[in-house]
Amino acid sequence: MTVATRPGADADRAPGRLAALLASPGARLVGKRLLMAVPILLGVSVLTFWVLNLIPGNAAQQLLGPEATPEQVRTLEQQLGLDQPGYVRYLGWLGSAVTGDLGTSLVSGQPVTSQIGERLAVSGELVGLAFVVSLGLAIPVALLAAYKPGRMFDRVSMLVSITGLSVANYVLALLLVLLFAVELALFPAIGFVPLSESVAGNLHSMALPVAAIAFPLFCFYTRFLRGDLVDQLQGEDYVTTARAKGIGPGQVLLRHAFRNSSFGLITVVGLNLGTLIGGTVIVEQIFALPGIGQLMLQAINTRDFVVVQACVLVFAIVAVLANLLADLLYAVLDPRIRYGSR
Amino acid sequence: MSELASEPVAQREDVLGTATADAPVRGPAPDPAEPLLVVDDLRVRFVGRGRTVHAVNGLSYSLAPGRTLAIIGESGSGKSVAARALMGLLPSTARVSGSARFDGTELVGLSEREARRHRGADIAMVFQDPARSLNPTMRIGVQIAEAVRAHSDLDKAAAHRRAVELLAMVHLPAPQRRFHEYPHQLSGGMRQRVMIAIALAGEPRLLVADEATTALDVTTQAQIMELLLELQQRLGTAIVLISHDLGLAASYADDVVVMYAGQVVERARTADLFAHVRMPYTGALLGAIPRLEREPHSLLPVVPGQPPDLSALPGGCPFRPRCSSATDECAEGPPLREHEPGHWWACWHPLPDAPVKEGV
Repeated sequence: MTVATRPGADADRAPGRLAALLASPGARLVGKRLLMAVPILLGVSVLTFWVLNLIPGNAAQQLLGPEATPEQVRTLEQQLGLDQPGYVRYLGWLGSAVTGDLGTSLVSGQPVTSQIGERLAVSGELVGLAFVVSLGLAIPVALLAAYKPGRMFDRVSMLVSITGLSVANYVLALLLVLLFAVELALFPAIGFVPLSESVAGNLHSMALPVAAIAFPLFCFYTRFLRGDLVDQLQGEDYVTTARAKGIGPGQVLLRHAFRNSSFGLITVVGLNLGTLIGGTVIVEQIFALPGIGQLMLQAINTRDFVVVQACVLVFAIVAVLANLLADLLYAVLDPRIRYGSR
Repeated sequence: MSELASEPVAQREDVLGTATADAPVRGPAPDPAEPLLVVDDLRVRFVGRGRTVHAVNGLSYSLAPGRTLAIIGESGSGKSVAARALMGLLPSTARVSGSARFDGTELVGLSEREARRHRGADIAMVFQDPARSLNPTMRIGVQIAEAVRAHSDLDKAAAHRRAVELLAMVHLPAPQRRFHEYPHQLSGGMRQRVMIAIALAGEPRLLVADEATTALDVTTQAQIMELLLELQQRLGTAIVLISHDLGLAASYADDVVVMYAGQVVERARTADLFAHVRMPYTGALLGAIPRLEREPHSLLPVVPGQPPDLSALPGGCPFRPRCSSATDECAEGPPLREHEPGHWWACWHPLPDAPVKEGV
C-alpha cells in the first residue's frame, strides 16, 4: 500500500517509513485508539441493551406464538433467563463477551460467535467488493472530469452522480432486480453461492447486491473527489508552482492535486466503511444474502436480543477499526502527520 | 509596508562589494541593443457574470538581459496579473491582449501547450507565500527534480543530482539530506530558497519574483534578495521584481515601473525616479513609508481614499479621486509620456523637484 501509492522516486525510502510507522509513535497511536474503543463499545452495548428492553415482547413470546398460555411463556422465560432484571442479564452477557463468547442464540440455541463469523464473511465480501468497485470507478471518472472541468464528460458524470445520490439503495436494488434479473435474466436475484463452492458462481450471485451498494458510493466519491480536485487545481498555490515549472496538466493533476485530494477521500471512505457494514441490512434482505444484516433483522423479528446485541457490537467494532485504519493511512500518505517522528 | 522597508539599502552595498568574487561580473551593464522582454500595451480583463474587471490596462516596458526591473504598486494594481499573463498562468476567465515578446517570440495568444514550453525554461516565477507554494506532500528534492526534468531529458538519477546541485546553489545547508525533507520541515526562508531552486531548474533567462520576500521577516528578506542578486550575476538572469515595497525597488532594481489601477503611472531608471518623483501617486507611496526619524506614536501618513474599483474605472487619471493636486483637467487621461530623458509619467500636475527625503 505505502509503496504503491508513492511516486517511484520515493520507493527506496518506503520500507524505512513502514518500519518507522511500526515503531513507537504509530504503535502508540494504535494502542491509544484501541483503549479509547473500550468505553465506546461499552456505551454502545449498554445503549443497545436498554433500547432492546424497551421493545415490547420477548423471545419467549415469539418462540411460543400467540396461542401460548402465560404459564408456558413464564416457564420459557425462566429457562432463557429472561425473568432476571436487565442489569443482571447485561452483566452476565458482558462477563462472557469479554472472553469472546457472545452467548447462545435464544431462538436457535447455537453459539452466536460462530454464527456471526460466517455471516460477517458474507457481509464483508459484499462491502469489500462494493468499495473496490465504487472507488475503482470513481477515481478515474473524477480524475477525467477534473482534467477538463465544465466539458461534456464532466457534465455527464456530475449529472449521473447527482441522480445516483438521490436514489436510495433499496430502490436501486429493486430496479436492478427488475432489469437484470427479471427482464434480461443476466444475474440471479437470489441464490447465494458461497465463495468456497465456486468463485465464479459467488461473484455472479454477488453482482447485483454489490452493484446496489456500489453505485451510490461511486456517485458520492466521484462528486466528492472531482470537487476536491477542482478546488486544489484552481485554488492552491502549489498547483500554480507546478504549472509554472512547465509540466503537463496530467502530471499536475496526478502528482500534485490528486495526492492532496486523496486525504479527504480517505477520511470519507473510512467514515463510510464504518457505517456501511450495518447499512447492508436492506440490500441483504432483498437479495436473500446470508449476511450479518439479514441475521440482525431476523433476530429483531424474533426478539433474539442476544444475537441483536452481538450484531450491534460487531458493527461498532468495525466502525472503530475503519476509522483507525483511515488515520493510519493518513499517517502513511501525509508527511506532515508523523506522530512525533521527524 | 514593512516598517524597515528601507533597510535593504545597506545590504545592497554589501552585496555589490563582496559577492562577485567567484563569478564573472555581469552586473548592471549598459543597455544592450536587444531587449530580452518587450511588453507593449498589455491588457488583461477578467470576464465574469455581468461584470468585467480591467486588471491591466496598457502595460508597456522592456527589459534587457541580466537587468532588474521593479514593478511597484499596491494590491490590485495589476502587477501580479501582468506577470502571470506572461506565463500563461491566468484562469480561463482572463482575456489577454496586447503584446509581450520574449526574445522575439510573442507570448500573448499562445496555446496552453506552447506556453508550457516557455514556462520554467525561459521564464520562471517565485511566488509570495513559500508555505503554500510548495506541495506539502512531496519531498522538496522531488519537486525540484520534477522542474529539472520538465525541460530536459535527464534521467531520474541525473535529475536528482542536479536538484542537489541547485539546493547547494541556493545555499541550503546539507543539500543531500534536505533533498529528502518535506516543506513543513523547513523555515520560511529555506522554503523560499527551494522555490528559487525550482525556478532556476530550467535555466530561465527571466525570473519573475512576485512579492517573493513579502511573507518573510526583514532579515530573511534581505538574504533572499542577496541570493537573487548573486544568482543574477552568476547566471545573467533578468529579474522582474514585483512588489509593493518602494524600498526594495530602490535597493535592488535598475528600472522602476509604478502601476496604478492596471496602468503605468510612472517609469524611470531607479536613480532618476527617486531623485525626481513626478507622479503624485509615487510621491504618496514614498510618503507612506514609515521612517525612524518620525515622532514616536505619530500617525503614519497613508495614501488617502480607497483603491479603485477595477470593474468601474472612471475615465482620465485613475488616481484623480485620491489625488490632492487633481483638477478638472485630470478627467481626461494624461498619457504616459517621456517628459525627461528616460523618465516617463502620466500626470498633468507632476510634482516639482522638491528635495526627496533621504533613506530611499
